[in-house]
Amino acid sequence: MLIGDRVLQQLTIGLDAAALRQRVIAHNLANLNTPGFKRSYVSFEDNLKSAAGAPALAPAHTHQKHINPAAEKELPAVRRDSRPIQRTDGNNVDIEREMLEMVTNQLRYNALIQQAASRLGNWRMVINEGRR
Amino acid sequence: MSLFSAFQISGSALTAEKLRLDLIAGNLANMNSTRTAAGGPYRRRTAVFAEELAGLRMPALFSPRQGEVNFAGKGVRVETVLADHRPPQRVYDPEHPDAGPDGYVLYPNIELVKEITDMLTALRSYEANTTVLNAAKSMYLKAMEIGR
Repeated sequence: MLIGDRVLQQLTIGLDAAALRQRVIAHNLANLNTPGFKRSYVSFEDNLKSAAGAPALAPAHTHQKHINPAAEKELPAVRRDSRPIQRTDGNNVDIEREMLEMVTNQLRYNALIQQAASRLGNWRMVINEGRR
Repeated sequence: MSLFSAFQISGSALTAEKLRLDLIAGNLANMNSTRTAAGGPYRRRTAVFAEELAGLRMPALFSPRQGEVNFAGKGVRVETVLADHRPPQRVYDPEHPDAGPDGYVLYPNIELVKEITDMLTALRSYEANTTVLNAAKSMYLKAMEIGR
């Protein structure tokens, strides 16, 4: 049960996505002064939302080799944002926006870590037969 | 994916911004240098930054594990250091040892205001990248608390 814990698996995906987003933001801010650079972003939570609200007529998934669009959508993806902003060098990194995203991402990461720690604490309590 | 690649990304930016600051310091120090080893007055130097991307990975050896996204961004690198080729300033000073036969001395074409604003930009970029570095550090420190 502990090995196949769905909650821990989901938390891991979320933590991986947050770590990836940290790298992407670091990359964007590293290229703050690179002419012509276009920022990247991680789309994950939006994908998750649309996967959660998937239509009722989803294709059946009865074999592990079937295409499962819902599972595909849950994975984080890195995309390029090519919309220009008011900068003359063709770069579209906005430092305030990146910093804001970084702080949000950090808080989300910490929240997920706490969730994972408490989940593991629950398992530890089970293993110790209720003794802490 | 290396766990610490966020550090390397920010580190590459710190190196690049530091080099830019060094070049600005060199430009300001040589504001009045009329002689160089190459002859003629000092020429303003600027760094050209380029996005650093990981090369193509060998698919069989390093295929990303299930669910991992392959993000190729590795930060920033200094592509080249360019010498400014705008014509130097001509100042009439016949007493100067480097004055030409017409009495004009060629001075480097360095604009003080431009250098100072560039310096502040480099400084702020450096600070932004240290903030990112600290954020990544606190995230990894937090991750150590999982098993506790």
